[in-house]
Amino acid sequence: MRRARPGWVFGLLGAALLIGAALELSLGPVVIPVRQLIPDAWRYFHGLQDTNAVVIGAIRLPRLVVAALVGAGLATTGAVLQAVFRNPMADPSVIGVSSGASLGAVLTIQLGLSQLNRWTTPVGAFVSALVVVFVIYRIATVQGRTSIYSLLLSGVAFSTLCSSIVTLILSLAPLETMQQMLFWLMGGLDGSSWQEGLSLFAFLTVGMAVYLTQAHALDVLSLGEEQAEGVGVAPQRTKQIVLVTAALMVGACVSATGVIGFVGLVVPHLLRIWLGPANRRLIVASAMGGAVLMLFSDLVARMILLPAELNVGIITSCIGAPFFLFLLRRQESSSF
Amino acid sequence: MDRTSLVLEDVAFADILEGIRANWSGGQVVGLVGPNGAGKSTLLRILAGVRRPTRGRVWVQGQLVDQISPKLRARLVAYLPQQIPDDTAFTVEQYVEMGRFAHRTLWGGLDTASRAAVDEAIERVNLLPLRRARLDRISGGERQRAGIARCLAQGSPIILLDEPIANLDVHYQLDILLHLQTLAEQGWLVVLAIHHLEFAAQYCDRLLLLHAGRIYAEGRPSDVLSEQALQEVFRVEARTYADPYGGHLRVSYST
Repeated sequence: MRRARPGWVFGLLGAALLIGAALELSLGPVVIPVRQLIPDAWRYFHGLQDTNAVVIGAIRLPRLVVAALVGAGLATTGAVLQAVFRNPMADPSVIGVSSGASLGAVLTIQLGLSQLNRWTTPVGAFVSALVVVFVIYRIATVQGRTSIYSLLLSGVAFSTLCSSIVTLILSLAPLETMQQMLFWLMGGLDGSSWQEGLSLFAFLTVGMAVYLTQAHALDVLSLGEEQAEGVGVAPQRTKQIVLVTAALMVGACVSATGVIGFVGLVVPHLLRIWLGPANRRLIVASAMGGAVLMLFSDLVARMILLPAELNVGIITSCIGAPFFLFLLRRQESSSF
Repeated sequence: MDRTSLVLEDVAFADILEGIRANWSGGQVVGLVGPNGAGKSTLLRILAGVRRPTRGRVWVQGQLVDQISPKLRARLVAYLPQQIPDDTAFTVEQYVEMGRFAHRTLWGGLDTASRAAVDEAIERVNLLPLRRARLDRISGGERQRAGIARCLAQGSPIILLDEPIANLDVHYQLDILLHLQTLAEQGWLVVLAIHHLEFAAQYCDRLLLLHAGRIYAEGRPSDVLSEQALQEVFRVEARTYADPYGGHLRVSYST
């Protein structure tokens, strides 16, 4: 496939983001005309509490912010993990990092640590995501090369292990704790708050800045460690920086919305076909593309069974799983 | 450029290399020759600082190679591994730009000096028409030239190349070797692993002949590539003679 002009791709992503945002704000049980969105939001931020102002300002706008940020975080993380593992199948949910994050979070609730302050659960998610990502990297990487099979298999093994332990903890927990855990695990975008959006924003800004500083090193690293060392990249250091940041990002995203699968797989992969493998461009485009995918997925999740609402992860999985299988079939012949 | 120097003090690596000593300064092309498995690639990796020797020390421009930062090392030594990736969608130009990694600005951009170095390197290996072609869509020889361009773009005074002419047709073999000679004349130190003995004799100022991980001989090509060495190291019967046109060493293999 011919590469597209970057200007076109970024233009399209920008337009899709605007349309997605407008629809996300406008549609729902209460339909608000697009031209009313800005005046309604304006009224909310000036302290007016009429229905439309509250629906926009207190419900849909924070939900939009959280959805877009989580999409951006997962997609950029997918992009950099694919570069580190030199493997287009890497994705936080596929290689078990997301389930690792869930396990850490559930453990902090079980051990009563979540009572201490509101940061212990996200930190638990981050730490266990970090452990999983390093263990999988250790297991799947032999002589600097990560085989697709050992990556996917160790990912499956760790996902299953973490999920089983989560189930075990759930079944042993007292009812009240269990509800708290389930609420956390199910996540979803329902009830997203401005506070959630702001802390996500803080984490993601830092994380994406780190990704961007490592983009050129990742470019060289994707050609192999010897090539990388020959031009002055420190492969181990680059990998450590990226993996720690990835765990932080996944921890933050899972804390906000629970596990949402395949966003980090589909988005960077498609964009790499259009934009080529250079990571700097790819990371920025993935941030936009991830936000777009999450907004439209959430739109479907909210509208398809109105007034009931599906978990957005169901929609991303319905899109992502077939795509993943398609990739697996094509994998043998493709260049990274 | 007169400080360019590469010194090896009694370098050993596992059971692959033993007792390697050398002291090379800028302004010459040094050829590493020897049969497969003699340790040429491992020695180059150690010179590049990519592998740590298990014993001994390597000094680059008066500094220990494993004690300088990767970026500084890359500014002093450019290293091109034997395998140029053939499964990547990066373009020739993007690949050559990677040679400027150690020179990138704080925000990762390429300054005008870097741009010029990239353009010059691509032009030097005659890849201008293919600069936007993907590495996985060009021939093995073109990829090899892209690799050499990446190395040249790096602008380091010491260049280490692992069999840089292996996949090239004779035109580009000669072209690349001549260019390496020109660089040496300008003060660069070029060290390359090379299998083609006659080219090694013709284009290298010095040769280091490795045999089972040890130095068999080191010096001027005509001294190193003796008939006895060819027999003992390469296990071939051969006569050597001076080329009637150029005077450099020729090898006639007897079957």
